[in-house]
Amino acid sequence: MNEPAIYGLMAEFDSADEIVAAARRTHAAGYRKIDAYSPYPVEELWEAIGFHHNRVALVVLIGGIIGCMTGYGLQYWVANIAYPTNIGGRPFHSWPSFMIVTFELTILFSVLSAVFGMLALNGLPLPYHPVFNVERFSRVTEDKFFLVVFSSDEKYNETETRAFLQSLGPKSIEEVPS
Amino acid sequence: MTQLLEEVETGRKRAPVIEPGHSFSTVTAKISDVVLKRPLSIGWLAGVMFCFGFVNLLLLAVGYLFIKGTGIWGITIPIGWGFAIVNFVWWIGIGHAGTLISAILMLLRQTWRNSINRFAEAMTLFAVACAGLFPLIHTGRPWVAYWMFPYPNTMGVWPQFRSPLIWDVFAVSTYATTSLLFWFVGLIPDLATLRDRATNIWVKRAYGALAMGWRGSARHWSRYETAYLLLAGLATPLVLSVHTVVSFDFAVGIVPGWHTTIFPPYFVAGAIYSGFAMVLMLAIPIRSIYGLKDFITERHLENSAKVMLATGLIVGYGYAMEAFMGWYGGNRYDAFLLWNRLHGPYATWYYSLLICNIFIPQVLWIRKFRTQPVLLFLVSTVVLVGMWLERFIIVVVSLHRDFLNSSWGMYYPTKWDWFTYTGTLGLFLFCMFFFMRILPSISIFEMRTLLPESKVKAE
Amino acid sequence: MTTARSHEMNFLAPSVVRTIGTRSLVIGLIFAVLAIVGAFVRPGDFFHAYLLGFMDWLGVTLGALAFLMVRHVTGGTWGMVIQRIQIAAMRCLPLMMVLFIPILFGLPHLYIWARPLDTVADKHLREHLQEITQTYLNPHGFFIRAVIYFAIWAVLVFFLSKWSAEHDHPPMRDTSARTKQLSAPGLVIFALSIGFATIDWMMSITPGWISTMYPLIILIGELMSAMAFCIVIESILSRYEPMSTMLKPSFAHDHGKWTLAFVMVWAYFSFSQLLIMWAGNLPEEITYYYRRFNGGWGYVGLFLVVFQFAVPFCLLLSRPLKRDIRRLAFLAAWIMVMRWVDLYFMIEPNYSETFRLTWLDIVVAVAMGGLWLAFFCRNLASRPLLAAYDIHAQKVLEPVHGGH
Repeated sequence: MNEPAIYGLMAEFDSADEIVAAARRTHAAGYRKIDAYSPYPVEELWEAIGFHHNRVALVVLIGGIIGCMTGYGLQYWVANIAYPTNIGGRPFHSWPSFMIVTFELTILFSVLSAVFGMLALNGLPLPYHPVFNVERFSRVTEDKFFLVVFSSDEKYNETETRAFLQSLGPKSIEEVPS
Repeated sequence: MTQLLEEVETGRKRAPVIEPGHSFSTVTAKISDVVLKRPLSIGWLAGVMFCFGFVNLLLLAVGYLFIKGTGIWGITIPIGWGFAIVNFVWWIGIGHAGTLISAILMLLRQTWRNSINRFAEAMTLFAVACAGLFPLIHTGRPWVAYWMFPYPNTMGVWPQFRSPLIWDVFAVSTYATTSLLFWFVGLIPDLATLRDRATNIWVKRAYGALAMGWRGSARHWSRYETAYLLLAGLATPLVLSVHTVVSFDFAVGIVPGWHTTIFPPYFVAGAIYSGFAMVLMLAIPIRSIYGLKDFITERHLENSAKVMLATGLIVGYGYAMEAFMGWYGGNRYDAFLLWNRLHGPYATWYYSLLICNIFIPQVLWIRKFRTQPVLLFLVSTVVLVGMWLERFIIVVVSLHRDFLNSSWGMYYPTKWDWFTYTGTLGLFLFCMFFFMRILPSISIFEMRTLLPESKVKAE
Repeated sequence: MTTARSHEMNFLAPSVVRTIGTRSLVIGLIFAVLAIVGAFVRPGDFFHAYLLGFMDWLGVTLGALAFLMVRHVTGGTWGMVIQRIQIAAMRCLPLMMVLFIPILFGLPHLYIWARPLDTVADKHLREHLQEITQTYLNPHGFFIRAVIYFAIWAVLVFFLSKWSAEHDHPPMRDTSARTKQLSAPGLVIFALSIGFATIDWMMSITPGWISTMYPLIILIGELMSAMAFCIVIESILSRYEPMSTMLKPSFAHDHGKWTLAFVMVWAYFSFSQLLIMWAGNLPEEITYYYRRFNGGWGYVGLFLVVFQFAVPFCLLLSRPLKRDIRRLAFLAAWIMVMRWVDLYFMIEPNYSETFRLTWLDIVVAVAMGGLWLAFFCRNLASRPLLAAYDIHAQKVLEPVHGGH
């Protein structure tokens, strides 16, 4: 076991205001391996912990382009090469008719990349995670906000970090066992 | 001065989106307790059993269909598209309101949607399931329905992509997939809430498995929000395209009454029209039975009624243009279609359609009819009947007398047609009953964001 | 506090508006002279070009009216900042009424139904015309219906403009209920009237050809023209007070989103019409597209697909572009040009089987645009740029907070 026994220190807050302020100060104090947890999305919070860009949009764009090309390519190939059929005298390459399936597949591929891309980037599904070891953490899906400094952070030092977190005025501080 | 401005902002006359006095905890408790704590009631069981009866009727009807074939229905030549297609279009139209509420209203930043989007999305899913059943069984040999998908096969045959029926396969399956994923993504944080609040270990594990280990991390929320917004952006054109493709099923054919260019927007408007009627028919009882009037307020009813009024007017515009062009264009078949609708054997149906879809809903101009739940419920029922009639008129009346009068005919639905139709109504409600009891019917985390304390004040 | 701010500020239009107005008038008059010369030299071309220019600038006028009503019904702060631009644009309706008169003199040049029926070669069409000219498509009906359309629009413009002007003076009031009560039914009546006007003025060029979608394509095009025009004007004004204070990036963002929506809906309507007719392939319908796919017109169509849809669509997906009013204004100006191309593609192929662009097509559009702009600038300068005593206008004056 190379992993340390402690995963990190967790501070609990009552409101979005408090945790955003605390997260900003923690980030400003030089802690980088930190994470914050909230019962609903708080835009300021991910900005505060220094997470400015996610790559979901890029994944979706790539998915959409692949879907678009797949859609049109498939129809072109089927109607012109694999199985050309004369339907009411319309040209094999009936581009107005091919727009629909192209559009639908663009959407389908984009949607699949949005959902599964988001889950993959988030590393979900993940059945076990150390933060769940803290009993109070179950309130994160109700009304409480948590800030965690991971023990893998370079600046992490159990007593100093605990003192620093204490200075942020949390409701409680707990150790997160690994 | 400032006070006056605030009054304007909060809507002096309008009800709020969420009644005052709630906190994160009370919102969470109130919604999740419906699922976790509320005891089984006789009413719920009775409702489920009643609907289950209709589900069995559906099974019977479909089972018998598989044995005997589509001859048990009233479809004949020239009316090859009877109830199955009427019901397909009707159901899928109803489904559209769910996506509209969850996606389009989200893009328009209409936060009032937050309390009705979840069950509206569930409604979409079940409606699409009912809709999808019809063309499937209408094929006559549903066990080979997968032939419609493009896959390499030993027969060396490929789908014919110039046919709107194949477009339908792609549109409806994309729509079903997207609706399911959109709904599920919206559910993840709430499933985590249920996981953390459940006391029974098996219930906890079940919700836990579905929540996939969601822990509310800020990084996760960031990606989640982007993905959700993009899904909304993608679902918006998708939902328009689906009913557009359904309209192409008709409009691409050259049958008078089908072949008219206004069909795409007119179908989309009709879909939203009937969909909002169904949303209201579900929301009005749900909010009073489950005590959710704080979250589904008069404001929601009124806004939905306004959407119904607007889309109903677009549908009326469609009728007007179609009728005018039938006369103005000088095509004798179009002119005959108009005459046949007004004076033919189905004229009563056509006048009923005009009354249900165009005339009665005009009462929604009056505020009382938009806010009084019982009246609104009745108007919604009328609209749903009207929209069903509209599809009946489009399918049956257009087909029964087309170009050649030696091949005219009449359509008489059989009892099996009615069994299948009422069976899907039962299936739909059956699913809704279960949904109400096993999943939060209002999005808890989005409701949290509506509370004033959720906003971060500027430092 | 807000009251104080609205009293302190002067909302009158900057002097640049008058300068633009004067220059537009000069340009408009010069081109008008050229156009009048053209009218005598080549009357046929002149009237085709005249209808094109008229529909283009009528689009901005009526689009502004429709868009204003949409905003009255739905609410939203994004509309307040351009409300006076919309009102000034829709108050150009009297000019459009005057400009409509020459069309009445050019009916035989424009519409086959206004010519002697023996000159119609196609037997089928002649039979149809014999019937329809009796009841509907004849100069008298055309004139009476035009009077009705203009009367409807004039009533809407009059009241909406008058009620807005009342907000230039104290006391501070909220009249949104009243404007809503007019705008909601107003939109219904407007949609019907513009639908029938489109049938009369454009669709009846080819009397045997009908499309129920066609009026909607025109309607959405008008909304697009009006939105694009407002963006261009607000961008010019944003260099000066008071627009520099009023216009926030979030408003520009909303205007960009509307433009994107219109671009998408325009493409959706146009493509649906094409697909249904192409797939149906009925002789009386497909002729419309047959003409537009052949004889060099196909390139114009392709140009529209790329520059009225694809390029604006891709650019408008960008959030930074939508929030930057200067760049957005360039795109909007381009969209206004494309509106002309779209109408050109709808009108001109009816008169010529092969590609044909006359100097009059451009001259008349510029002449009309010059006069229209001059009139618009006069309207804009005659009132403050913000209805300062409208309770809803106050939000425009709040300082920027982050945006969304």
